[in-house]
Amino acid sequence: MPIPDKIAAANKINEFLTGIVKHGGLRLKYRITVDPPLPEERDWERPEILVEFAGPDSSLLLDRGGEVLRAIELLAIEMLRLPGNEHEKISFDCNNHRSMRIEELRIAAGVAAERVRKTGSPYEFAPMSSRERRIVHLALRSFEDLHTESQGEGSRRCLVVYPKNYKQEGKAR
Amino acid sequence: MSEQSSNMVALMEHAAKALVEKPAEVLVESFDEDGEIVLEMTVSEDDMGRIIGRQGRTARALRHLLRAASMKTNKRYELEILE
Repeated sequence: MPIPDKIAAANKINEFLTGIVKHGGLRLKYRITVDPPLPEERDWERPEILVEFAGPDSSLLLDRGGEVLRAIELLAIEMLRLPGNEHEKISFDCNNHRSMRIEELRIAAGVAAERVRKTGSPYEFAPMSSRERRIVHLALRSFEDLHTESQGEGSRRCLVVYPKNYKQEGKAR
Repeated sequence: MSEQSSNMVALMEHAAKALVEKPAEVLVESFDEDGEIVLEMTVSEDDMGRIIGRQGRTARALRHLLRAASMKTNKRYELEILE
């Protein structure tokens, strides 16, 4: 389901960010794009509103793996009161950090798949956010000899790649 | 050189008001405590959940934002959300 009124949502985001940048004294500019063009074959995250930051204070947003960028994104999503499964419709980026991270995750997914095939043992990723786990789930969806699953709670929740029948064998013992 | 005046109280107020149902009831006061500036935030009781968020994620995001912005002020800030 798309965001009901994207233009209104984009305007609210703009109003929110204007205040954040001004009161925070941040040297940042940003561009908000509604329905950004995406390659047809892209089957992960298809944002309907894309916010791209740039400027001298970019590093403040990107420190510690983009912690503040994600914080501002979360605040904007909470402000819009989107239902849980609509979070991916909004994406905040800065100097292509996020798109690079997605590429990194897709490459890591491929490497993990290779390793699980070679060793026959599961591979556990470091803990990641639900959005990042989803990128990996989707990247491995078409690998029919593997299956992926999230384990653990809260901030320790991580994704594990298994050989297809691994679990059942484990239980049969 | 700071042509833009950063204002942490206004920053937290602005962010909190965007999140809640009753923005008029958002109040942020600052207290100097031994060189550290404590920002005390009060919101309507009904909005407490919105400010804290699931597993405290919204409150944590506000603190991340405050930490980043306050780096430019050369002062230490702490956000306290009053029950």
